[in-house]
Amino acid sequence: MALACVRLPYRLRVAWLEPLSFLILLGISWDVTIRLFGIPRYQIPTPADVVIALCHEWPMLLAEASPTTLATMAGFLLSAAFGIPVAMLIASSRLVESYVFPLLVFSQSIPKIAIAPLFVVWFGFGMTPKMLLAFLLGFFPIVVSSVQGFKSVEPDMLDLARAMEATRLQIFRMISLPHALPAIFSGLKVSITFAVVGAVVGEFVGSNSGIGFVLQRSSGTFELATMFAALFVLALIGVTLFWILHLIERLAIPWHAGQRQEFIIAA
Amino acid sequence: MIRSLLVTFCTIILAGPAAATDKVTLMLDWYVYGSHAPFYYGKEKGIFAAAGIDLDIQEGRGSGITTQAVAAKSAPFGYVDIPTMMRAAVKGAPVIATGVLLQTTPMSAMGFVERNIRKPEDIKGKTVVYTPGDSLSQIWPLFLKKTGLKEIDFKTLSGDATTKFNAVINGQADLLLGYFMDQSMRIKDATGRNVYPIKFADYGINLVNSGIITTKDLLKDNPDLVRRMMAASTRAILAAVKDRKGAAESILKASPKGGKLDTLTEGFELTIPLFNDPTKKSKQPFVVSDQNMADTVSIMVEYGGLEGTAKGNPRAFYTNEYLPKGLPL
Repeated sequence: MALACVRLPYRLRVAWLEPLSFLILLGISWDVTIRLFGIPRYQIPTPADVVIALCHEWPMLLAEASPTTLATMAGFLLSAAFGIPVAMLIASSRLVESYVFPLLVFSQSIPKIAIAPLFVVWFGFGMTPKMLLAFLLGFFPIVVSSVQGFKSVEPDMLDLARAMEATRLQIFRMISLPHALPAIFSGLKVSITFAVVGAVVGEFVGSNSGIGFVLQRSSGTFELATMFAALFVLALIGVTLFWILHLIERLAIPWHAGQRQEFIIAA
Repeated sequence: MIRSLLVTFCTIILAGPAAATDKVTLMLDWYVYGSHAPFYYGKEKGIFAAAGIDLDIQEGRGSGITTQAVAAKSAPFGYVDIPTMMRAAVKGAPVIATGVLLQTTPMSAMGFVERNIRKPEDIKGKTVVYTPGDSLSQIWPLFLKKTGLKEIDFKTLSGDATTKFNAVINGQADLLLGYFMDQSMRIKDATGRNVYPIKFADYGINLVNSGIITTKDLLKDNPDLVRRMMAASTRAILAAVKDRKGAAESILKASPKGGKLDTLTEGFELTIPLFNDPTKKSKQPFVVSDQNMADTVSIMVEYGGLEGTAKGNPRAFYTNEYLPKGLPL
């Protein structure tokens, strides 16, 4: 008798267990390395110190995570809102591509931390410079992936659509966009992790709050355990936002090969 | 021909050990400013070379980072804020001050002269910018306590060193917390305008500032090098005090983008009074009194996040034993 069952619940448990076990293994290796090489605490804190700092400072870290997350999301949404249309323009016009794309690549090499203080001068203290830095760091991956996505539409499909007298909007809605979505989401997922970095850089240079502020303060006072705890929270923010995007991707393109669930067929 | 070659060879071998010098890196606390002039002057005038030291001066990125670099033996000597070094030392960094140069704190709240902020009461209603976690931000609450100010009396902004500087220049802040011989000169270089510093020391804050540090291992393994370094540094200070403009020029010869001659000279001149011992027990550069260090440790325990146990043994943080004798200012 053929039996098909969906392994999803089991698979979900295993999916979380694997990275968690790897994290624990990394923590053990970190602790062993410190003990083996006698690395002093003022250079690298032990995992135990970091866990203790996390427990003690959790309310403060949670409160400071809020402005960082807001700045990240605002910057990311801006980079998506501008990045995808710019990618469409580049993909659809060789003229635009030849003028704009090289400049984009050129601008990517400019270290944003060097111009970050100027953002504070131009836009003041507060959310704006953080959001702009998150936008600047998140913009390029979206554009590059989205251009790739829009350009990967098969020409035969486009020819067929034109032969059937489809309008440009119909071609875009029914063929170009669905084909480009996997690449767009790929770019979005990379972009959100860069946007977190951008928000933190903004907090380093001019902010009274946020995880970047905590990092700066704890680094200055040699509170390395708190600093590492703050880094952990930052990584959590990145992972959480990445996962949310992943969920949205599953809803938006359930048909894509990357989203198909495995089925077991047993006889 | 063979005979002359042999003679030359023997001369090199015999002269070799006598001419050997120690290649030594001194890592500064920050990018170069006027207070660093004596080290550049001592290098230029051969004072360090005469002590058998080939000195390499590296600019730093903060006293905390320089302290960690010295503790990790990436640089044998550092010129850092001693209270910052203390915070690292209580966390296990095996570092110690072998000479405290600035024996009064240069910490201040400074703003453009035309803003007319000259007394602590004038700070009310103004905007102050500081860098979170640095030594000034740690001592600022003590300044508020000593002057009767409260946090609600003024607005605060925070940012890194560049943001602090830009904020005052562009009018986003009225005052920044900084050293009165450092940022004041940079602001003057950038704008041509003078700043007025409200000095923490004028309000009863007795705290030492910068000095030379090294690892305790170096004191054990090579005490002779430490003695020679401190003797040469002392001589360099004394020589630089007699030739202030020359000392500032030596910075520019080594680092042409290090600043402007006038403001580097002025910065160094503003630093010189800080060499004096406020407790009047010492007359020689680098030699710090026990009283001054005990006061510093006391303030750092109360306001600087230093563990309370440090009060019991301030001598764990410094030693005058490697300093030369008989070289008064």
